[in-house]
Amino acid sequence: MINQSIGMGEQGRNERDKFESELDRIIKASDATGVILRVIGSLAFQVHCPKFGYLQEAMGRAYTDIDFAAYRSQAKEVKSLMASLGYSENREVFIVSEGERSIFDRTSAGLHVDVFYDKLDFCHTILWEGRLEIDRPSIPLSEMLLEKMQIVQINEKDIIDTIMLLLEHPFGDTDDEVINIKRISILCASDWGLWRTTSMNLDKVRQLAQGYGQLKDEQKKHVSIQVESALARMEKEPKSLAWKLRSRVGDRVKWYKDVDEVE
Amino acid sequence: MTRTVRDLMHPGVLACKPSATLGQVAVLLSQHHVHALIVTDNKGQHLGIITDYDLLAGEWLAVDAESLAAMQKLTAADLMTFPMDSVDAATTVRKAAHILNARDINRLVVTENGHPIGMISVSDFVAGIASKEKPARATVADVMSDSILVCRVNTPLISAARTMTQAGWRSVLVVDAKGKALGVVSGKDLMPFVEKGIDLALTVREVMDPALTIDMTASLREAADKMIQNHHHRLIVTDKEDPEAFPLGIISSYDIVAEMANPSSVWQK
Repeated sequence: MINQSIGMGEQGRNERDKFESELDRIIKASDATGVILRVIGSLAFQVHCPKFGYLQEAMGRAYTDIDFAAYRSQAKEVKSLMASLGYSENREVFIVSEGERSIFDRTSAGLHVDVFYDKLDFCHTILWEGRLEIDRPSIPLSEMLLEKMQIVQINEKDIIDTIMLLLEHPFGDTDDEVINIKRISILCASDWGLWRTTSMNLDKVRQLAQGYGQLKDEQKKHVSIQVESALARMEKEPKSLAWKLRSRVGDRVKWYKDVDEVE
Repeated sequence: MTRTVRDLMHPGVLACKPSATLGQVAVLLSQHHVHALIVTDNKGQHLGIITDYDLLAGEWLAVDAESLAAMQKLTAADLMTFPMDSVDAATTVRKAAHILNARDINRLVVTENGHPIGMISVSDFVAGIASKEKPARATVADVMSDSILVCRVNTPLISAARTMTQAGWRSVLVVDAKGKALGVVSGKDLMPFVEKGIDLALTVREVMDPALTIDMTASLREAADKMIQNHHHRLIVTDKEDPEAFPLGIISSYDIVAEMANPSSVWQK
C-alpha cells in the first residue's frame, strides 16, 4: 500500500510556511466577507492537530495545494473572493463538474486551490449540508476522518493524516474538539458501502501505524485503542434495512465509485 | 374468544432450494402469488426466508454489466434472512402483532412443535382488523365502499382496512379533491392497531405515509433503489410533466419481482 504518491516527499520549512500563510490569508479574507470556506486535506489536519502536526513533516507528508469545502449557493462569492486574492479560475472545471468543484491558480506563487461545493464525491459521498458552520477554519473532525476513510485505495499521506488526528483528538458524541463518532456511526449505518470502506481503512490505519519508526510505542498503542473504540461504536449503531440487505451481497458487487488519486 | 395466529395465518409453506438463483426465486414467488419462500436444504432443514423485498437487491445493485453478472450468480442462500422470525401457532394475534411491530418486520413463519406450518403477514393482520367491523346495512352509505384502491384523507381507517382486504391490495392511495397523491396507507401502517385496538374515529390522514413518488419513465433499478433506501414496498407512479395530476399507478416490490420472473427478463438468462 505504501507508495511515493502525490503529497509525499521532503518539503522545506519555507515551502510549508508558504502554504500555511496563504491558508491564513484566504481564511481571513473569507471571514471578512462572510464567505464560508472550510479547509480540508493536509492543511486541515495540520491546523487541527497542533500537538501532533509535527508528524507530517517528520513522516514526509508534503503540502501540494489548498483544498476547501464550501456551499454551492456561495459559489459566486467564492469566485469573487479568490479573484480579489489574485487567483484565476479554471472555468472549465466548474462547467465540467456541473458546479460541484472550482479550481483556482496563482501561478506566480505556485499555488493551487481546489474548492468542493456541497460535498466530497469520490469513492463515497460526504455531504457538507449544515456541517460547515460547526467548526472553523476546517470542516468538523468527523468529516475530516471520513474524508480520509472514504478512499478505497488509501495512500500513505492519508494514513499519516489519520494517525495525527487519532493521536490528537478523542472520539465523542459531539463536534467540540472530539471526533463525532456518533455521526460517523449513523452515516455508516445507513450506507453499507461507506461502512465497508471506513471499517476497512480504520483497520489499515491500526496495522500500518505499528510500522512507523517515528511513532513511540505508546502512540502506536493509542492509535490501536482509538480504532478499536471507533469500530465498536460503529458496530453498535442499529443498521437500516437497506444496509442489512446490501451486507448480504457483500463484496461480490463493487461498493464504491472508482476515482483517480485524491489530493 | 381470544384469536390466535392459527386463525389468521396462511397454512402451508412454500420452499426453495438454497441454490435457487434470484431469477428462479422470482418465478416461484410470481407463480404461487406469494411474497416469501422458506429456504430448505435437501434434508428438509429450514435455513432461512427469502422475500420479494430481498429480491429487489437484484435490480437495486445491477447498475452495470459487471454488477448484473455478479447478482445473477447470487442464490437464495446468499440473500435469505436467518434465523427466521417465527411464532407459535397458539400465540395470540395481539402478541404476534407486537413481535412484528417491535422487530419492524412484515411476516412471521408460523410453527407448531417447532416445525413451520404456515406464514402470517401484515396483510393477514389487516384482514383481521377488517373482519371486526360490523357495518350497519340500513342505507346505501352504510354498505358502500369508502375506498377501493383510492380514498380521500377523511376516509375512516377501518374502512381502508376493509377495502384493502376485499380488493386483495396491500395499500390504499390517499388523494386530495383534485386527485393529487397525498400519501399511502399500507398494511404496515395498520399494524400498531392490531396490538392496541383500533379507534373507529381514526382516518387515513392520521396514519398515512407521505407520498413517495417515481416518474413513469424511471427504470426498475431506480424504483428498487428508492424502495430500499426509503424502506418502502411501493411507490406512486406519476408523470413528471404533470406531477400534480392523479397518479398513473402504484409499483410495488412484488411488481418488480414479477418482472424478474418474466421469461424475457435478464434474470431468467
